[in-house]
Amino acid sequence: MDNLCANLLEEAVGISKGGRVVVVEDCVQMSGAFVLHHFLKRSLYPDTSDAVIFIAFAHPFSHYERILRKMGCNLTVHRKNHRFVFLDMLTLECPDRNGKETRQDGLLALYGEIEKAVEIYSSLEGSRIITIMIDDISLIEVAANGSSNHVLDFLHYCYTLKAKYGCSFVTLNHEDIYSSANTLPLILQLEYLADVIIKAEPLATGLASDVHGQLSVLNKGSVCDLGGSSSKVRNFHFRVKENIVDYFYPGTQT
Amino acid sequence: MASSRPRGGSFSRNISSAATAQIPGVKVGPNGTSFLSSGIPDLDQILGGGFTLGSLVMIMEDPEAPHHMLLLRNFMSQGLIHKQPLLYASPERDPRGFLGTLPSPMASKEEKSHERPAEQDANLRIAWQYKKYFGEQNSEVQRGGKAEYCNDFDLRKPLERHFYSGQRVDCISLRDSPNLAPLLERCSTFSAQISKSDGNITCAGRIAIQSLCSPQCDFSDKDWEMLSFIRSLKGMVRSSGAVAVISFPPSLVSPTFLKRWQHLADTLISVKAIPDEDKELAKLLTGYQDMLGLLSVHKVARINTQVPAILEATTFSMKLRKRRALVLECLNQAPVDGSSGSSYGTSGSCSGSSKSGNLDF
Amino acid sequence: MAETICRALRDGAFEGEHAPALTIKDTIDTPLGSFVFNHILTQLTSNILAGKSQARGVVLVALSRPPSFYAELLKNKGFDVSSSSKWLRVLDCYSDPLGWKNKLMERGTVRNPYEETLLKTSLCKNLKELDKVLSSIIELGKEIVEEGKGRFAVAIDSVSEILRHSSLPSIARILSHLHSHDQVSCIFCLLHVDLHEAKVAATLEYLSTMHADVEPIVQRTNGQRNTSEDLPMVEQSFKRGKFHVRFKRRNGRVRAMREELYVEGSGIKITEVSSEDGITAQSLVPKVQFNLDLSEKERLDRAKVVLPFEHQGTGKPIQIYDGRKSLNESENEEKQASVEKPQTTEDSGRGEIIYFRDSDDEMPDSDEDPDDDLDI
Repeated sequence: MDNLCANLLEEAVGISKGGRVVVVEDCVQMSGAFVLHHFLKRSLYPDTSDAVIFIAFAHPFSHYERILRKMGCNLTVHRKNHRFVFLDMLTLECPDRNGKETRQDGLLALYGEIEKAVEIYSSLEGSRIITIMIDDISLIEVAANGSSNHVLDFLHYCYTLKAKYGCSFVTLNHEDIYSSANTLPLILQLEYLADVIIKAEPLATGLASDVHGQLSVLNKGSVCDLGGSSSKVRNFHFRVKENIVDYFYPGTQT
Repeated sequence: MASSRPRGGSFSRNISSAATAQIPGVKVGPNGTSFLSSGIPDLDQILGGGFTLGSLVMIMEDPEAPHHMLLLRNFMSQGLIHKQPLLYASPERDPRGFLGTLPSPMASKEEKSHERPAEQDANLRIAWQYKKYFGEQNSEVQRGGKAEYCNDFDLRKPLERHFYSGQRVDCISLRDSPNLAPLLERCSTFSAQISKSDGNITCAGRIAIQSLCSPQCDFSDKDWEMLSFIRSLKGMVRSSGAVAVISFPPSLVSPTFLKRWQHLADTLISVKAIPDEDKELAKLLTGYQDMLGLLSVHKVARINTQVPAILEATTFSMKLRKRRALVLECLNQAPVDGSSGSSYGTSGSCSGSSKSGNLDF
Repeated sequence: MAETICRALRDGAFEGEHAPALTIKDTIDTPLGSFVFNHILTQLTSNILAGKSQARGVVLVALSRPPSFYAELLKNKGFDVSSSSKWLRVLDCYSDPLGWKNKLMERGTVRNPYEETLLKTSLCKNLKELDKVLSSIIELGKEIVEEGKGRFAVAIDSVSEILRHSSLPSIARILSHLHSHDQVSCIFCLLHVDLHEAKVAATLEYLSTMHADVEPIVQRTNGQRNTSEDLPMVEQSFKRGKFHVRFKRRNGRVRAMREELYVEGSGIKITEVSSEDGITAQSLVPKVQFNLDLSEKERLDRAKVVLPFEHQGTGKPIQIYDGRKSLNESENEEKQASVEKPQTTEDSGRGEIIYFRDSDDEMPDSDEDPDDDLDI
């Protein structure tokens, strides 16, 4: 039963052979972090040798460690087995004092760390997909003191790793921040570059204990690949539990 | 009803009694988190135990009413009673003067004079009407000892001086500095003192920042600087054993930045004034006469867990019980018989305001 | 009719004229612009290989997608990628637009960050210096065509990316330089309109000779971003859209075309909108601010309106008020005369012209003929 439910999200997202960009969008009322946890667990399944590089702006390692442990995935062990890299950026600052250069350098250094990790991991044996995850893009903007162009430059560089190493991306951003016209380009650019957009929203009727909210999955299919267009849009409800998230179509909950 | 709340199972309660002995005022919660009391028993109850240690609490002020000050005062007083270090920042010239307005805890005698269902077994099945008493067990009142997890405060009685004179109490005015760097530095030294060693908290601390973006501060127009400060503060607090409470007037933050502030908050609370002598409201809400204002909980800290906190109600009325202690009541729980609503989960044993029905047992 | 675009790009620049330029625009509602771009690129490529086009080759400025993407694209379309160096050069502004990778390599953080492809590429490590980008585009173009003769096409896969690094005027300068360069046969570029202010789209429209808009089939009415209510529509908009082309013709006319665009298999299909529905046919005409035609009801209504100067129902001859005292009793000739000169000011007796001298050196009004010095 649980297995079937989890597939509703997986079915909507589809199976990836790497090189896929997933953007998760949420709002103040409903956090979308659980989707991130899902992808994290998915990439660290024991039957693959895939690896994850996790860039944390929102929460420290202990937070994710505990959540994933409840989902049956031990991050500490994966870290030791070279399948998981955690970059703690909670205190990353790219201050503005010496002009633009410093601001860029902070993100440049971060990118350097990511690329280094990707280079090392991809040289290891076995065919593996490396997934790069960023848990809050809006906080990169804060770290870069509001320069969304620097954030986009940074993300562009991250995306270049897709071409050479076939990396996948899962990023989280808050949609409700970008409501005015001058802030819109950041989230629009993310959506242009995304293959899958997942939006977590509360129900219009408010939070309930048995239905926590709804998830809309916009799968552009292979717009960025060359195959046919298999774009599809799915919409379903979910209920988050500690160890698993139930996904179900409205009204079909048992 | 109460049973649908995700937290507060008997499991975590059992651990808590074992582990909190060393640190006064800290209660162990679920998922390896700990709680500090907000200084308002009802609010602790609503939030599932209190403010999570390491979290950032943001209070959205009402531009017309000083209800946020009530929350800040109780929060600070509670910490001082537990002898926890305190950092207080305010846009006033003399922030230390504010300490003189902090409320004093109610005499514990008064508290105890009321009968409670004393040695109640936690596993005992009780009728739902009695569930509110169940919370009392949760709020960890250690009888006899002075350090209760959560006190009731008498808003009319100032805190005795010795509580805040000799201790590690740091005050800073936001007004004279052109940017937030000095405040950030103070916060960082403060949280360094109480940082966790090997994940174990040795001491808990409280940071209270009043009206962060108030217009008399020079940095109030620097949106990104303030955001960056909040983010840094959040990072610091997270790795230490402190709770930071920031109150701010949301109308002074531009809408998109307001959303960013709200996203940064672990726990988000707003207070609202209620219109005076509004006949419509008086009809609609029972106990309208005694209400000070409304308090809404928008977000509850989700540290170490992905399960959202589903509250039974998000908006509560703020009332003064016996004109002294701040209580929160569910708006939608107004009993039909016209008496004021039962206080949220706790202290039903205290006979409420004059109109209160007989809810004592 | 998308062939019209391809034909225009194929035919290239006429002697002494600017190269034809196409701007493809899309928005997030129908993000299909890149499909159109790929379509035009492959069409042009096959024209080049068949020797039908004026251009001998293409310089592709890759900004939003890596060169390897284009290698794959061309391979899938059946082109021989290994021999592509004869007709294709890629200016790779994707891999390292700010020189970060280069810096990291020098610092020893990473070893070899660059990707290898079958295409002949040249790397651009500083997108901020647009003049260098321009000179390398022209240099690459000259590599394809033999020195001095022949022309090449320029394809820019997303102007939006450049706009993040440079100002609009500097980009406009580069583009107009390319238009007027005598070895450029045609230019086409892609723009995501909603990432920029309205001015950007207007500037590019101004500079180009053709612009193609990809629009959603159903326009969103509320102007809001995607909400969960219109999900079926969103799904549709990833598959098809309206394709509007405006074509500035050399004779000064503007040709507007409306078509529909489907994403199909590995490419797109553009079909003409069936002219059966008259609305589409009518909207082919550029829209005017006012109605030139009246509906039947409007015509009847107009006929009913009683004009204020008509003597209603008295059967007297209709007279037109000309600003003077009523001359009912006057002769017909006189009335005609007044109609002839209704605006003469001395007749009305009310008009007055107040004249201020501009300065004191001007002579007071004299009888001197001001046109005296005119020598005819």
